[in-house]
Amino acid sequence: MRRVLVPELLSMEAVTAGYDGGAVVREVTLSVRAGEVVGLIGPNGSGKTTLVRVASRALRPMAGSVRVAGTDPYAIPGRKAARLVAVVPQELAPTFSFTALEVVLMGRSPYLSPWGGGEPHDYRKAREAMEAAAVHHLADRPLEELSGGEKQGVVLAQALAQDAPVLLLDEPTTHLDLRHVVGIMETVMGLARDEGKAVLAVFHDLNLASGFCHRLVALDRGRVVAEGAPEEVVTRELLRDLYAVDAEVTPHFATGRPTVLLGPPLSPAPRGTFPLAHVVGGAGRGAPAMRGLAALGYAVTAGVLHAQDTDAVVAERLNLKAVVVPPFSEVDEEARREVIALMRRAEVVVVCDAPYGPANVGNLVAATLVAEEGGRVCLLEQVPVEERDFTGGEATGLWRALRERAAVARSYEELLAVAAPPS
Amino acid sequence: MRRQGTMIILVVLLVAAVLVAVGVGAVWIPPATTIRLVAWKLGMAERPHGVAPSVEIILFQLRIPRVLLATVVGSALAASGAVFQALFRNPLADPAIIGVSSGAALGAIAAMLVTGGAFAGGLVVPAVAFLGALAAGLLVYRLARVGPAVQVATLLLAGVAVAALISAVMALVLTYSGERIRSIYFWLLGGLSARGWESLAAAAPLAAVGVVAALGTAGNLNLVALGEERAAQLGLEVERFKRVALATGALLAGAAVAVAGVIGFVGLMTPHLLRLVLGADHRRLLPASVLGGALFMVLADLAARTLRAPEEIPVGAVTALLGAPFFLYLLRRQRREAGARA
Repeated sequence: MRRVLVPELLSMEAVTAGYDGGAVVREVTLSVRAGEVVGLIGPNGSGKTTLVRVASRALRPMAGSVRVAGTDPYAIPGRKAARLVAVVPQELAPTFSFTALEVVLMGRSPYLSPWGGGEPHDYRKAREAMEAAAVHHLADRPLEELSGGEKQGVVLAQALAQDAPVLLLDEPTTHLDLRHVVGIMETVMGLARDEGKAVLAVFHDLNLASGFCHRLVALDRGRVVAEGAPEEVVTRELLRDLYAVDAEVTPHFATGRPTVLLGPPLSPAPRGTFPLAHVVGGAGRGAPAMRGLAALGYAVTAGVLHAQDTDAVVAERLNLKAVVVPPFSEVDEEARREVIALMRRAEVVVVCDAPYGPANVGNLVAATLVAEEGGRVCLLEQVPVEERDFTGGEATGLWRALRERAAVARSYEELLAVAAPPS
Repeated sequence: MRRQGTMIILVVLLVAAVLVAVGVGAVWIPPATTIRLVAWKLGMAERPHGVAPSVEIILFQLRIPRVLLATVVGSALAASGAVFQALFRNPLADPAIIGVSSGAALGAIAAMLVTGGAFAGGLVVPAVAFLGALAAGLLVYRLARVGPAVQVATLLLAGVAVAALISAVMALVLTYSGERIRSIYFWLLGGLSARGWESLAAAAPLAAVGVVAALGTAGNLNLVALGEERAAQLGLEVERFKRVALATGALLAGAAVAVAGVIGFVGLMTPHLLRLVLGADHRRLLPASVLGGALFMVLADLAARTLRAPEEIPVGAVTALLGAPFFLYLLRRQRREAGARA
């Protein structure tokens, strides 16, 4: 309930704006409160930069209203507006060779008279801004001699020198390496937290947006299509709808923020006359075997796996046929029958060195049965069985029995060599 | 420290150059004599003994107005160049190169013909020269602007085309000038010979207004050098400011051209060389250009009238002799940088 008291420093109401060719954004409503970092995401041409231009007094909206710190920026002179809202552009390339300090001092120009050369107060503000952006040591260096990251720090400092409560960032980290990306974003978050600045930032990188913003607004063809906490906005569905991309979205293991994983499209599971291989995995031990065997030309099956286990997720994404039971439940009769059927059809059964407990020891029982029938079984044994036996000895006994009838590999590489299909 | 030091050095050099320039000629007048005579004229001292009346006449009727005019013209051209370079976001801009001086010259010729051929006729000629410069500047700016910036190639081409067009019109106008064609041609070549106090009185007020206005644009020229969009984000009303800056540059060029004809490269070289020493901040660069332009012009004029004395070389030839190779060097360097970036 405390948030209700926090003022909206930037608000747009039903803003429609564009250029001669027509409207680029239509009826967009959004607001940013003091202390909040809001990310604008969306594909190219969705109107992100146009919205930033509207908020920065560069593009008067055709309809709707804009308020910056409670004031319509288009109703006041540019100098006054520049004291309320500052922009951090993607990059800055001055025509002449200015030093970093000179560039940052220009951020004070909304406060200077035309003939004034900058008072001590302005120099102090410029120095403070450079310290906040961690570029104070570069003050006397010419801008064009700085690296991309240092340069962008100077540009950030220039915007900070404006002393404006609202900060707009237009893809501020596009050309930077990771260290500077994190540096700039941490500075911006600190300003929101400590000085109560309202920040609206355009991002192409969804992971950056998701990781650093309190709230996200997704635009598509000039309209807001999703808004809310990152986990509500960055979803597989959004990626499919906005970007026509099929990609993984998983929660960050520590922060829980959605993380987008991109990679080449997975090849469809082989069907038909391919030889079959079955993988017994769990806790991620099976995934490398599944990928490797599929690459060797096997049609791979898997199980029994517990839903949401890493191996179960991998099997699903690889489109593998797998026997899956609910988390933490034991392998029931039906699952055991199914998995034994898969193992019997397989050219080779690979049993990985997963931890075995009451919930999955049934896999070892099934594999032992198939091995005794004469099926070809390979064991992966990087970790001794005693260290991963959570059954009180049952798993160790079964593993030793399996070892009698199976080929044993000490690494995934060796495993794939042993389990290779007959050529 | 380097910045203040540079300004002090410029002032000292300028004073020294003025004293030497008024002293050099068919009759050598030592600086001490000049100082004593000036002090007497200003009512600060007795008339010095043992100075021939002819020396007094040479000094006050010929040399001092000419040298002072050189400082005014040089200051105006250099300040104009600095303003145009920032406004066009291009270090190759110069009132002569971008056609502004041609526009001023056309305006001045028209005014001379209408008012009776005197190139020192009060404020009318400089005022019309200013209008001509403004028109040419606007035209070139419109032509050269592609998207957000003025490209080197289009700027030079537009400048050349506009200057050529104006030259053609001037040639046409001159056919109507009858007997005055000789004096106008002489003026057009660019030079300070036989210019007296009237020329100074005509150019100085406009140049002074222009210089004050230019110093006032300095902070905002810095913003424009960052790009127009960024300048607007930093609070500048860009379109209004560009009109003010264009008018300022044209006023300065008009004042110089009205009394001295078209003299190239002063506006190009002076800001450029000073930028190498002082950096790009226009709040330092503009005052320094005012001093530096005056210094450059005084020395160039001194060279023009002494190298082949008693003959005079047009001072425009002296500045071009120094400036053209410099211009080519800059052009090459900028093309190379553009190539490296592409």
